[in-house]
Parts: sequence; C-alpha cells; structure tokens
Amino acid sequence: MSDHLKLHDESDERITAGLRKVFAAPEGEAYWRSLEARILSRLTEPPTVAWWDELDHWMRPALVAAAVVLLASGVATFRAYQAEREVAYEAMLTPSALPVETAVRPMLQSGREATFRYLMTKPR
Amino acid sequence: MTAAIAFELHGALPMTSDAAKRAFERDHVIAAQGGSDAAFAELVRLHQRRAYAVARAIVLSHEDAEDAVQDGFLHAYRALDRFRSDQPFGAWLNRIVANAALDLVRRRKVRDADELPETLALPFRDPGEADELRTRLSEALTHLTDRQRSVIVLHDVEGFTHGEIGSMLGMPEGTARSDLHHARAALRRLLTDMRSNS
Repeated sequence: MSDHLKLHDESDERITAGLRKVFAAPEGEAYWRSLEARILSRLTEPPTVAWWDELDHWMRPALVAAAVVLLASGVATFRAYQAEREVAYEAMLTPSALPVETAVRPMLQSGREATFRYLMTKPR
Repeated sequence: MTAAIAFELHGALPMTSDAAKRAFERDHVIAAQGGSDAAFAELVRLHQRRAYAVARAIVLSHEDAEDAVQDGFLHAYRALDRFRSDQPFGAWLNRIVANAALDLVRRRKVRDADELPETLALPFRDPGEADELRTRLSEALTHLTDRQRSVIVLHDVEGFTHGEIGSMLGMPEGTARSDLHHARAALRRLLTDMRSNS
C-alpha cells in the first residue's frame, strides 16, 4: 500500500466529504448569471490606479534619478578634491614672500602674540 | 457537431470533447484578444465556477471569493494580449485568480489585524444544512495555516494536482505535498480532540 493510500484512510474520506460541504459552490444558474454580469460590468469600468500602484509606476524613474544624482555628486566631489590637491600642490611650489616662520606657521600666531612681535621688532 | 455543443457534452464524450473544448476555448481566446467582448463573456461563463472554487479555497468567505473572482477576471482581461493562445487558458486564469485571492487575504490581514475572526466564515448556504461534522470542521480549519487550508481544499475538494496547486500558490510541488500531509494530520487530530472533548 502506498503512503498516499495509507494517509487517505477512512477518516480522511469523512474529512473530505465535510470539506466539500463547507466549501460547496453556490448552486443555481441564477447565481452564476448574476456573477457573470458583475464580472462583465467590471470590465467596462475605467481602470482606477491605487496610490501604491502610482508609487510603483514612479519607482523606476525615481531610482534612475537617484542614481544620476548620486553619480553627479560623486563626480563633483572627486573634481573638488582634485582641484584642492592641485591648489595645494601649486601653493607648495610657489615661493612665499613672507618670512619662513610666518609662511610655515601663519595660523599659530594669536592676535596678541602678533602685536607683541610687532612691538618688539619695531625700529625705535 | 460544433465545438460549443461538444464542450457542453464533454462529460459524455471524453476523447472528442477534450480536443473540442480546447479548440472552442482557443477560438474564443483569440477572438477576445481581437477585442470581442462576447468571446470574453463566453470564457467567463466557461471558467467562473472553477475560478470561484480556486478563490474560495484561498480566502475566508464567500464574499471575498466573489471579489477575488471579479478581480481575477479583470486582471485576465487586461492582460489578455500577453496570453499565448496555445497554452491552457484555465490554468493561466486560475493562477491569476489565485494571486487576486492571495492579495485579498494579505489586504484583509493588514486591515483586520485587530479583529481576527474566531471561526471560519462559511460560504453562503442554508444554515439548516449545517451538520455536526461541518461545524467541527469549520472550527478545526481555523487552526490550520492559510496555506495548509488552501492546499487541502484545492486538492481534496477541487481535485487539483500538487503541481497545479504549487503553480497557483507560487510554491514548489513538494511544499504543496508536505502542506497537504500536515493539513490532513492536523485536521484528523483536531477532530479527534473535539470529539473526545464533547
């Protein structure tokens, strides 16, 4: 005896019979004619687009737009970084007119220190 | 004999009628694809009972099954130009109806998350017909998963094969087979428990 036959024993037959009653389709031609009429009337309705369907339509263009924006910002960031590096390189190659100390540590001097240095180095 | 007559008589003439049924159906599909609403109406007449059975196996109530059938036919109508007329129309339609029914179940779950039904809604039938087994079965069915319930109804009541069920519900044939096994075992156990408790 196969597994299928073993499983499908007498109690299964009773269950199946019960299920057939529970899930029995409506009887009577009138019901089916009415359902058919309702189905056919729905076909003539103008298609309504739900908001999630509308969102779904916009999903692809939105993804493409996001990808383009991401790419453009990537390119812009890269170019800005390149330009910054070039400026820094140029600045290193260009000889500075300022004293070495000032040129090397311009930002290390506070306003107070600068005034003090000015007063100390000022010819009398 | 015309194809239409042969179709009506297909129970009596199995060999001839199957071929005639397919030819009849194919002619109507092609006509419907060409824009004939009358041909599509004929396809609705031919398939609405089976479509209802598929939907009813998946949703919880007769009303939802009706909605799923209507949605399914509407989707099929709009996708008709993508259907290849050399394929069986019924199988294609059943898949669409099953998807519409599953979609409805998902929407109902989201909507009714706070008010789950305590018992499975019965199809509309004369309440006087309810017998003890039917009542107990309805109660037992609420303990199965949606998928197990759909599989056992589609297989045992509607006679679909495991492969057809898998295709309709979007799962492998083996899963349908295993769900059927578990659903039967669960129903047997639940009905025995109920009998011993009563």
